[in-house]
Amino acid sequence: MKKRSAISAGIYVFLILCALFTLAPLVLALINSFKSNGEIFTNVISLPKHITFENYIRSFEKMHYLRSLGNTIFLAGGSVALIVLFSSLAGWKLCRTKTRFSRFLLSLFIFSMLIPFSSIMIPLYKVVLVLKIKNSLFGLCFVYAGLGVSMAIFLYHGFVKGIPKELEEAAAIDGCSTLQTFFKIVFPMLKPVTATICITNVLWIWNDFLLPLIILSDNKKYTLLLSTNTLFGQYSSDWSAILSALVIAALPVIVFYALLQKQILKGITDGAMKG
Amino acid sequence: MKSRSAQSVHSGKTRKQNLSLLLFALPALIVYALFKLYPAFSGIFYAMTDWNGIDKNWSFIGLQNFIRVLDDSYFWQSILFTFKYVLVMIITTNVIALTLAVTIETRRHARGVFRTVFYLPNMISMVIGGYMWMFIFTKVLYYLADNYNGFSFLDHMWIGDPQYSFVAIIIVATWGAVGYLMIIYMAALQGVPESMKEAALLDGANAWQRFWKVEFPMIRHAVTICVFWTLNSAFQVFDVIFTLTGGGPGRATQSAALNIYEEAFRGNIQYGYATAKSTVLFVIVLVITAVQLSIMKRKEEEL
Repeated sequence: MKKRSAISAGIYVFLILCALFTLAPLVLALINSFKSNGEIFTNVISLPKHITFENYIRSFEKMHYLRSLGNTIFLAGGSVALIVLFSSLAGWKLCRTKTRFSRFLLSLFIFSMLIPFSSIMIPLYKVVLVLKIKNSLFGLCFVYAGLGVSMAIFLYHGFVKGIPKELEEAAAIDGCSTLQTFFKIVFPMLKPVTATICITNVLWIWNDFLLPLIILSDNKKYTLLLSTNTLFGQYSSDWSAILSALVIAALPVIVFYALLQKQILKGITDGAMKG
Repeated sequence: MKSRSAQSVHSGKTRKQNLSLLLFALPALIVYALFKLYPAFSGIFYAMTDWNGIDKNWSFIGLQNFIRVLDDSYFWQSILFTFKYVLVMIITTNVIALTLAVTIETRRHARGVFRTVFYLPNMISMVIGGYMWMFIFTKVLYYLADNYNGFSFLDHMWIGDPQYSFVAIIIVATWGAVGYLMIIYMAALQGVPESMKEAALLDGANAWQRFWKVEFPMIRHAVTICVFWTLNSAFQVFDVIFTLTGGGPGRATQSAALNIYEEAFRGNIQYGYATAKSTVLFVIVLVITAVQLSIMKRKEEEL
């Protein structure tokens, strides 16, 4: 019994050490973000002597925080709205139609999931130039929709298989048009999978860097990550400015995680297990 | 006659169904075709041109770009680096994630807290995480090595020395990916029936045996998913290397995606040539994924 509790204590120590390692970059960024550059130079692991928000004020202005945050919210929100609307319509109908054409269409949507982004990014850039949507956040939402629908259609298609057809048929007999049936009867039933799709896609788009990097060159359109990256390029040795910028850039997702932790973890698991 | 009219009624119904399906799928189909399908297929065409992105006059040069790719030692170096990275990442992330999942699942207390903490890095972009780690590698580790004797082993050029910068990249990338895999493994472990574990316990199996003989075979499917996911995402590695080393020193830590990005969007812009490279990368990824999936599927079925 003694040996067993020793092992158990050992495992807790191991887990706590792993947790400290996981949190170390965040904690170090946080405590040093309140110090002046001179204090960072003399001691990086102590708590700050005086708490100063000067760094934050500086980086808040330099990275145009509110504008960058607004751009990011618009991009993630707009893209996810398009993905949900387009994919639920397509996924539902693809599941309910049993023809050779529907099977073809489904495999057309799914087969490309394996194509790495770096393999399509240059021709995609060309398409963006031709459509004149370079530097357009609105246009970028549609690009994200194009890249995101495959996975979402796959998930919707799988989910619709499990819900009974009778309600839809009853609605049709009652004189609902197909679109009415979809929005009044079907879409509300898709809520669990819609939540999963929203969560996984918001996180993907929010944290995506390469696509905005090549599409958005006007700094008024910059997302949080692009602004952070630019700030790092301009002040590469000014750690007090950079660390405070990193903290406020990470803050929205951390708040999001704190508020919706259960839903996020469930959404991630569902998305992964079916993907 | 009768059967024929039935058939035409049937095909008319099919046509109507297909038309309605097409209407519902149209919005998705348009954005998908524009931003994914067309780029994927037109890439093969652009790869056979000398198009540089700006010049309106470009010509068709056949396979010349592909022949040039074969000769491009920087590209193959980046492919080799990517392979090394993928291989190490598959092992580190999966071993650590599975270890964490198993140890957390067997604890009675604080399971939720550990899960929350270990998943946290996955919420944050690797750009932000990468710069936070940059601070550790360029400031904190030196500070520890200088001021505490026990930490003198940390005194390396973590970003400047190619050998150590590879380790740095692996540490940061593993830090950022483990939580996701751990969540999948935990979900899989929860699916193992309690009765099977109890039966093994009654048979006198120790914890080690119980894991490998009872639980591991039951979560084989999760292992396939996780290895597949790591393989796929590691082949496309960009953010973490872009922020930490930028591919340097020199080109020592340049991944394939970074090589293609630099070719297309930095310095001398050669879209045609860069597209040829990305086509080669795609074929490599496709072959490896197909092989990996077929092997792991067979292994799963054997059990």
